[in-house]
Amino acid sequence: MRRPIAIALVLLSAIPLVVAVAGLPAHGDPSAPVHTHVSAHYIERGAEEAGATNLVTGVLLNYRGLDAAGEVTVIFTALIAVLAILLGTGTTPESTASSRGASDRRGADRESTVAPVSPIVSFVVRLLAPFIALYAAYVILHGHVTPGGGFQGGAILAGLFIALAMVLGTRAMQPVARTALAPWLQGAAVLSFVVVGTVGAFLTGFFLGFPAEPPLHLVRELLIIALEVGIAIGGAAVLATIFLHMEAS
Amino acid sequence: MTGTEDIRIAVVVGLACAGALFFILGTVGLLRLPDFFSRIHAATKCDTVGAGLLLAALAVLNGAQPATAKIVVLAGLVLLSSPTTGHALARAAHRTGLVPYHAEKE
Repeated sequence: MRRPIAIALVLLSAIPLVVAVAGLPAHGDPSAPVHTHVSAHYIERGAEEAGATNLVTGVLLNYRGLDAAGEVTVIFTALIAVLAILLGTGTTPESTASSRGASDRRGADRESTVAPVSPIVSFVVRLLAPFIALYAAYVILHGHVTPGGGFQGGAILAGLFIALAMVLGTRAMQPVARTALAPWLQGAAVLSFVVVGTVGAFLTGFFLGFPAEPPLHLVRELLIIALEVGIAIGGAAVLATIFLHMEAS
Repeated sequence: MTGTEDIRIAVVVGLACAGALFFILGTVGLLRLPDFFSRIHAATKCDTVGAGLLLAALAVLNGAQPATAKIVVLAGLVLLSSPTTGHALARAAHRTGLVPYHAEKE
């Protein structure tokens, strides 16, 4: 009974998509709508209008800020879905949170069966960690001038966190991962959009509006940087949380 | 004047060709060598020596400029991270019981 329903649902959602794709203009067609309407305007006036020398950042956070807000919401929802699956199967320490001792013993058992961390890997990761952190901060904060931004910098930050967790053991990460602050970090991207959007609403009258007039155009830059930092922290926290929970299960 | 310039370009070409040669050898090794360990050994040469030589060529080509410092730092990063990755992969394979390839002697 379930199977025919599933097939019907797949067909119901796939057929409109296939029809829509068939109606798209050919690849690289210069008269395609995407090349004839807003692109030229973005390229000509984007840098001064959107407040970011990097046009990608300008389009992503200013012209299409609502779209980016949707993206970070999707990422946050994905985290909730992954955690729901991992915690729902009852294999992670969280599911036995009522007995803290049990989860600790489980951790000890794991570590005794896993090979010790290579001293070479440990040394190199520790040596490079501050440089990776610096690079992540550079990519995040310089994203409105050069290629980069919150998503990319957040991924670098998460990579650093995961590398350190593998070298130092996930237990060394517990002070960061298990505090009351953790949910706020995981939701940082969504929250930053809410805050910046509200500030924009007060300044310009539109949610996620950025003031472009001379007295306030510096505020615009600060708002964009606030979004970048929020996206980076939120993205890094989501990736790191998924890693820690997969490690635990 | 042009003499030193010619020497510099010659050094750049030499370094770049040597780097490209290491990349070709590493790729051939990755495709042709018999087992995981020897392939890792070949592939790591690409990133370490090949990329290192190419970056050295770029640094010489660029001359005394701020960007050259970035290239040197990049080369240092490659020299550190690539052998470490190779080591971690080989160690993990060894620890999980992968037996290195031996040509059968009869």
